[in-house]
Amino acid sequence: MEDQITNPSIRDLIMEHLELALTLKKLRIYFDPEKCTGVWECLQVCPVGCWEADQALGKVIYVHAERCIACGACGLQCPEGAIELRV
Amino acid sequence: MATVFMKWLETNPKDYERGIRLITLGRITRIREKIAAEYVKPGNQVLDLGSGTGELTRMIAAAGAQVSAVDASPGMLDEAEEKIQAAELDQQVRFHQLDAAMIDEVFEPQSFDLIICSMVFSALQPELQRYLLQTFPQLLTPNGKVVIVDESLPKSWFNRSLYKLRRGALTVLTWLLTRTIFSQPLADTRAIFSKAGYNTQLISSYLGSSLTIFEAQPGSVPVEFHQLVGRLHHAPSLLTLFKDLLELFFRIMPPYPKTKAGLYAVGQPDAQSAVLVTGNYDLTVRRLVKAIDGKLNAWVLVVDTAGINVWCSAGAGYFSAEKVISAIKTARLDKVVSHKTMILPQLAANGVDGWKIREATGCEVTWGPVRAEDIPGYLDRQGQKTEDMRLVRFPLLDRLEMLTAVLSFYALIILLPVLFFWRENFWPVTLALVGIGLFYAIFLPWIPGKDGLVKSLPLSLIVLAGYLVYSLLGPPASLQTEFNWGVGLVGLSVFTAAELQGCSPLMRGEQANWIAEGIIAIVLGLIYFLVPATLGWN
Repeated sequence: MEDQITNPSIRDLIMEHLELALTLKKLRIYFDPEKCTGVWECLQVCPVGCWEADQALGKVIYVHAERCIACGACGLQCPEGAIELRV
Repeated sequence: MATVFMKWLETNPKDYERGIRLITLGRITRIREKIAAEYVKPGNQVLDLGSGTGELTRMIAAAGAQVSAVDASPGMLDEAEEKIQAAELDQQVRFHQLDAAMIDEVFEPQSFDLIICSMVFSALQPELQRYLLQTFPQLLTPNGKVVIVDESLPKSWFNRSLYKLRRGALTVLTWLLTRTIFSQPLADTRAIFSKAGYNTQLISSYLGSSLTIFEAQPGSVPVEFHQLVGRLHHAPSLLTLFKDLLELFFRIMPPYPKTKAGLYAVGQPDAQSAVLVTGNYDLTVRRLVKAIDGKLNAWVLVVDTAGINVWCSAGAGYFSAEKVISAIKTARLDKVVSHKTMILPQLAANGVDGWKIREATGCEVTWGPVRAEDIPGYLDRQGQKTEDMRLVRFPLLDRLEMLTAVLSFYALIILLPVLFFWRENFWPVTLALVGIGLFYAIFLPWIPGKDGLVKSLPLSLIVLAGYLVYSLLGPPASLQTEFNWGVGLVGLSVFTAAELQGCSPLMRGEQANWIAEGIIAIVLGLIYFLVPATLGWN
């Protein structure tokens, strides 16, 4: 039994991280204003201030795309599925 | 690069299985065989709690039982599932990726004839043990039993000393070979179950009674437990200073020092006081307590995030809605506070699904400020966050702190080989590395470029300019030496800027730069070898 057991090699780990390297830069936010109902969770959780509230419309606006660090908090907390972080 | 190293240090399922055999000196196999042979009858419904890599699961299924295998780790479950499929037992086993505190939500009452906890209880917080002891009787059929396999501290003085000696050596060996650390043994397995009203019986014991199998049957009267609440103070001492230093220099190297998960009181909180949820990295908890102790009375609910800070653990899946729900349930928060509002750290929002917690517990989840220092102000404002409380910043002090944490790790990788193979240049290289790091950390906001890789270009130019000034003013050196230093300094600059990206909260992870870093390293290597060769230097 013992000899069948192998660790993931350093090579596997490096390959995994190269894949991550390829996707990490390409991740971006896809926001569908149609679905937004003004819950404001994204605005509460974004640590870099990408979102702003449009009180008149009762929806958020994705203002500062350039600040996004791809943490994914807005997408996870959006109950309407209006925000997605993907390639 | 740091992430690869940390990943390597993480326990993987196969290592864990090897570790468990090592720490039990192989007895675990015998124990598993015994359980499958003596406790399992064909057609039995069995709950394998903490199924790990599925060794025991496979044996129980092979003995003819229907098994529900529960484990919190997806990696372990994948491994176990493969094993069960290879043995063609998949009709008899159902896998559940679950925190132990969720079993009463998933399984119907009276679902199981047998519940097996193999090497599980010693790894659980007292709160979670208590919760399980209360939950098992509901899940068992009228004559159902619990079987507990675990390490426990031998009673006799002689056996205990022998055990401690052996366990000490085995712990080091197991960590070295498998990077697995096993929890301390249970103080008294029988007492844990007996106090909860179970009729408990010792079945067999191994290794000087340090490894035991107990059988427990729930008693007829449920036992009420008293509330477990710890206390936390901000009390600087020599010990905390030592921890501060340790956590500064070894920040990114596991194992991470942990605070015991559970519910704590800070000040004199009452039923109306705020509940603050946080992760269980020692420094995280101490900084939170420092920020609020003496300023307000609050409950602090420390969630088991594997000893990792809030943001990183949330990003890596260690701080999740399930973990928070489990903490709320096992701490029995409803018996302590009359309101239902949980304040979670804002930086956990990338991993903790707030809606899941609201749904499962009926609690109101609010996202607190980014920094613990803002908590008193946040509570004064009735939970209204100012823009400043929501935004992550990276001020000078934080930049220097992270530089120290990262450099103390990279210094090992870069400077040790230099010390061994290039001794005469040890101090110059050390000075260059620390100097470039300090310069970069201090001037980061003003160095042009959006991410570390782009910033490494101006950084390289500045460093080369600095070196030019030094070589003009300093002692004369050969062209070859100047060239070597030039290439080396560019390498160090790129490395510093690209790797420090991983600890800047305002950029994407340093992995984003991996490929470019590799290419730059190859190009620099080619320049280093080819230029002297073509120019005919010797």
